[in-house]
Amino acid sequence: MTDFLIGLFLASLIVALFTTRLYRLLLWYSINSLMLGTLALSIGKSIDDNAMIITGIITIIVKGIGIPYVLKNLSQKFHFVRQITPEIKVQYAIMLVPAILVFTFYLSEPITHMIHTNANYVAISISSLFLSLLLMMEHKNVAPKIIGFLSMENSLFLLGISATNGMPMLVELGIFFDLLMAIVVINLLFHKEEMKV
Amino acid sequence: MMLSFLLLPAIIMFLVSFSKNNKSKYLLAFSSFVILVPIVKLFLLPKPYNILSSYLVADKLDTYVLLVSSIVGIGVTLALLTLDKHVKVSPKAYRKFYRFFAIFWVGLIFSILANHMGVYWIGLELATLSTVYMIKTNYTPAAHKEAWNYMIVGAIAVSLILFGIILMYASAKPILGENGMEFDLLLAHAKEIPSPFLFEMGFAITTVGMFVKMGFFPMNLWLANIERASFYPVAALFSGILESAIIIGFFRFSKIAMQVNYDHLFIFVFVYTILTIFIVAFLIFRAKDFMRLFSLSGVEHMALITMFWVSGAPFAALLHFGAHAFLKPALFLSTGVLESNGKYKIAGALRGYKGKKGTLFWFLVSLFLLAIISLPPSPMFFSELYGFGAMISNAKQSNHMLAMIGAVLFLLILLSIIFYRFVAIYQAMKYEGKEEEKTVYGSELFALVVFAISLVTLLFPATLTYLKSIS
Repeated sequence: MTDFLIGLFLASLIVALFTTRLYRLLLWYSINSLMLGTLALSIGKSIDDNAMIITGIITIIVKGIGIPYVLKNLSQKFHFVRQITPEIKVQYAIMLVPAILVFTFYLSEPITHMIHTNANYVAISISSLFLSLLLMMEHKNVAPKIIGFLSMENSLFLLGISATNGMPMLVELGIFFDLLMAIVVINLLFHKEEMKV
Repeated sequence: MMLSFLLLPAIIMFLVSFSKNNKSKYLLAFSSFVILVPIVKLFLLPKPYNILSSYLVADKLDTYVLLVSSIVGIGVTLALLTLDKHVKVSPKAYRKFYRFFAIFWVGLIFSILANHMGVYWIGLELATLSTVYMIKTNYTPAAHKEAWNYMIVGAIAVSLILFGIILMYASAKPILGENGMEFDLLLAHAKEIPSPFLFEMGFAITTVGMFVKMGFFPMNLWLANIERASFYPVAALFSGILESAIIIGFFRFSKIAMQVNYDHLFIFVFVYTILTIFIVAFLIFRAKDFMRLFSLSGVEHMALITMFWVSGAPFAALLHFGAHAFLKPALFLSTGVLESNGKYKIAGALRGYKGKKGTLFWFLVSLFLLAIISLPPSPMFFSELYGFGAMISNAKQSNHMLAMIGAVLFLLILLSIIFYRFVAIYQAMKYEGKEEEKTVYGSELFALVVFAISLVTLLFPATLTYLKSIS
């Protein structure tokens, strides 16, 4: 089950890299977050960690539903450009994504030997981090850059779940609080600005 | 109780920022002094003192950093009183600036006092996000672009820090459990960490994140561009408070990394900082406006502080840090006054200040400009002397004595380039250009006097003894 969810997590991020429509990108981000939340629930249940279960539920509500909904509203309010063509051509991106995956597995090999539980998940979290950075780099529009930033948070969260079996509850809640603050700041940045950035 | 007092000025600022009365800003300038009361109390209390369980603990190092950053906060609130006299700012944007400054201050108090890696990160992220809006207060396309730039690069840097923290936590969790996030426990059990490679990997990633935030190689210009585009108090806050919080994090993480593997830490940070100073020296040589000049000089000094710290000269690093934290905000706030009569005009910038206030202003700015390039009796002169001395004596115990002497000579050449540029700029400011009547206001002058007094206090024997006791 965990392997299946983590596979879907990575797959939804890869698909997001090739998306050319904004709403579809929000959908893939939402699926990515839902997979992450479900993964936290699944691992939390298997190791009997209530904090992780709570975090999983908050992830599903805030990241899986709340943030995509707010961003969709923002996009309608400020008339975002919905056609978001990546700067990197598809044929190059198709080669780049597996290269990143192979590279990160190679890069994280010494680490994976030291983590006995979920060793490959650490490698996947690092590759998700790189893929999120790629998502930020391959778009000129601001909206996909925001999604890239949020996906990066997801990768960090995945690392927290997989490498450490969950971080302390206080830290998890703090990260959520900061994420909400980020959304407020993003909203303020868009306020009264023309959406040509 | 102690935490409430520490947060009181920021909370007052946040609440008062909703008031539409223009006079309320005067209350903020005076209320900011209130923060000194709990800090003085903290100095008197035995350390380590638990402020909030084991999450926020005051020791000698963070009490010192908190005092320095609070003085900067006070100086900035004083200078903010006349912001609208130097730049175009709407009352609404002015109030929002105060609001986000308050959030920024709260975040950084948490970061500075944190004994917990997670709390440290949360405070830093809060400060980063609140800064974005402070940059945006300047309603220009350049500031708007740089606010987004800061949002994205800042978020990447902070994410790298968290990424590294998770790896460090993962390395310590088998022996410390959930307490593996606490700095003091990690330091005490550093040698027992079962997977040192994992810790070092986490430390390296966190350090890269911190270095990106401080504008180290290869991100040398991003901070300078942002500070150029935003209002001058933002730059003062960056150099005086934000960088203090980042550097204290580096101090804490590196103390643990020193226990894990000192050689790896030293080589990694030393090469990184030399590379940074090499690039920055030439960028300073080409700088054509005050903001970029001071911003790049800030990167140089942060690199020096980092280098002294890892070279076994914490006293020099802390003295240099204190001096830089007072000098740089003072220079950035002065820039606001200097540029109010035409941006980018270096020639004659210090001419035309008449009367007692004017004379005191140009005298203080000259003092700060010459002190930042380590002319004696600037505290930076002594810290560099101690720092380079410690680097050589550290190398005596190894087989790299010649390499270290070469590195120090190379650094001195780079510092002399910076010295030359600053002296040339100072001469152009004082002796070239036209003389025009210029105004300086009481509150900003008061802020500069506060910084000057603080700078002199750093050289008092009691202060030096305190700094030595930290190291």
